[in-house]
Amino acid sequence: MTTRPNPAARPAPTADLDATLGRVSRDRLTATVTALASDAFTGRRVGTPGNIAARGWLGTELTDIGAAVTGDSLPVRAVPVIYAAPTARWGTGTMTADLSFGSDVAPHLASADLPSPRRGPLGIAGTDDPDGRWLVAPAGMSLFDAYAQAERAAGLLLARHVDGDGWQFTMLSGPNPGPVPVLALSAAIHQAVHEAARDGDAWFAADAPIRRVDVTATNLYGRLRQPSPGHPDLLLTAHFDGVGDHPGLRQPGAADNGSGVAVVLEAARILSTALPEGAGLSVALLDGEEVGALGSAHHAARLAETGATPLVVNVDGAGHLHQAAAVEAGGPAYGLLAVLDQAGRHTGVPLVAGPVASDNRRYAGAGLAALGIGAGMAGYHSPADTPERVEPTTLAAITRLVVATVWLASTAPTTLQSSIGDGR
Amino acid sequence: MTGNERTGGFAGDPAAALNVAGSAGCCGNPAQATMALPDPADPASGTCCGTPAAAVAANSCCAPAAKAEAVASATGCCG
Repeated sequence: MTTRPNPAARPAPTADLDATLGRVSRDRLTATVTALASDAFTGRRVGTPGNIAARGWLGTELTDIGAAVTGDSLPVRAVPVIYAAPTARWGTGTMTADLSFGSDVAPHLASADLPSPRRGPLGIAGTDDPDGRWLVAPAGMSLFDAYAQAERAAGLLLARHVDGDGWQFTMLSGPNPGPVPVLALSAAIHQAVHEAARDGDAWFAADAPIRRVDVTATNLYGRLRQPSPGHPDLLLTAHFDGVGDHPGLRQPGAADNGSGVAVVLEAARILSTALPEGAGLSVALLDGEEVGALGSAHHAARLAETGATPLVVNVDGAGHLHQAAAVEAGGPAYGLLAVLDQAGRHTGVPLVAGPVASDNRRYAGAGLAALGIGAGMAGYHSPADTPERVEPTTLAAITRLVVATVWLASTAPTTLQSSIGDGR
Repeated sequence: MTGNERTGGFAGDPAAALNVAGSAGCCGNPAQATMALPDPADPASGTCCGTPAAAVAANSCCAPAAKAEAVASATGCCG
C-alpha cells in the first residue's frame, strides 16, 4: 500500500514552514551547481573518472548533512564515447576548409569507429558510385536508406541543424553503430558540401573516433530519517550524471542536472533539521539517466523488492524558470500532487502540467507515487550548459517548492485546500 | 489553507499532471536501435516526450527530438 500524506498528523503552523523556507540559500545552491560543473568532474558521464569523482563529492555532501549514505551499482552497456577530438576538412580545386567539432561536424551515434582520417572524393548517396567516396545523404534521405547506398563507401555525411548557441547537442541514447563511418554536418556545411559534390572535383577527409564501452553506474542513497508508523516517507531524487565532456570540448552539465542535484541537496539539508515529527526522508542521487534512466530503474526495482513505498519527488532541470515549472505525476500520486499544488501556492511558484521525461517515470512505472519537476535548462547537452546560465532565482524557487511540498506532506494536508483532493 | 495564495500553484486542473500526453510507456523498455538523431531545429518536433514509440526506439524516457525542443523552450523536459 502506498503511503500517503498523513491526515491524522498534528497540524503545524505555516509560520514554521515560512521560517524553514527562509533558510534556502542561493549562494549554497549556486556553489553546488558550480562544483558539479567544474573541470574536475568532466561533465559526469556515466562510468568516467569525473562521474566517480562527482559521486564521491556528493557522498561527502550527504554525509555532512547527516545522511546515512550507501552506493548501489549496476552495469551499463554500450555507452557511446568520442575518444579523440575528431578532425574533418573538405575542399575543391579552389578551396579547403577545416570543420569545427561540435558545431560544424560531429560523429553520429550510428557511426562505425574510424580512428584515422580517411580521404575520398565527395559523392551523393543514391546518385554516385559509392566506392571510396564520402557520400552526402540528401536532405530527407533516411539513415536506413543511406546505408543501402553506402556499400564500400568511405562514409556517410548527414545533415543536422544546430541549436540556438550553434551546437549539435550530445545524445548518449540513440541509434546503435552501423557498418560505415557517419558524420553529422551542420545544415549550412551540409548544403555547401552537397553542392560541391554535385559540381564534382570535391573531396572530404575525416575520422570518426567513436566507440562503445561497458561501464558501471552507481547510485547514491542517503537516508536522513526513518518514518514513524503511519507517517509518510519522502524520497527526493535527481540524476547527477551528464552527457560528459568530449576531447577538447567541455560540457559542464550545469543545468542538466547540476541544478536538480543542488535543489535536492539544499532541500534535504534544510529538511534534515526542520521536518515535522514522524515523516521519513531520504535522497537518491541517480546515475545513468542520460543513457535511458537506468539508475532510477534499478532503484525502483530495489524499492519494489523491499516493499518500500516512498512518495517520490524528482527534479530534473532547475535552471531557467519560464512562466511555470513543468510537473508530471505518475502512480498513485493524487494526494502528493494536491500537496504540491498547495506548496506552489504557498511559495508563489507557478506550475503547469507538462512532460518531465526523467527518472520520475521509472518510479511511477514501479507503482510509486512520483512527481517530476522541471524548471528549464539553457544549453541542453552542449558546451553552453554552464553555471552562468543557471538562474539563482530559479534554483531558490524550486528548492522552496520542494521543501514546502515535503513539509506539507508530512503535516496535515487535510487542512489545505486542494482542487483535486486525494482520489486514491 | 496557507498564505500567499494564487500567485503560484496550478492555474488549471492539477490532475492534468497525471495525464501528460505521451508519457505512458516511455520507460522500462529494452534497448532498440533507431535511425535518427534529434535535430535541434526540427520543425516537426512535437511536445516533449513525443510518442511512446519514439521513446521506446531511443531507449529513453521520451522521444529525443521532442525532448530537445522542450528543453530549448525551457518547458522543463529532460533526461
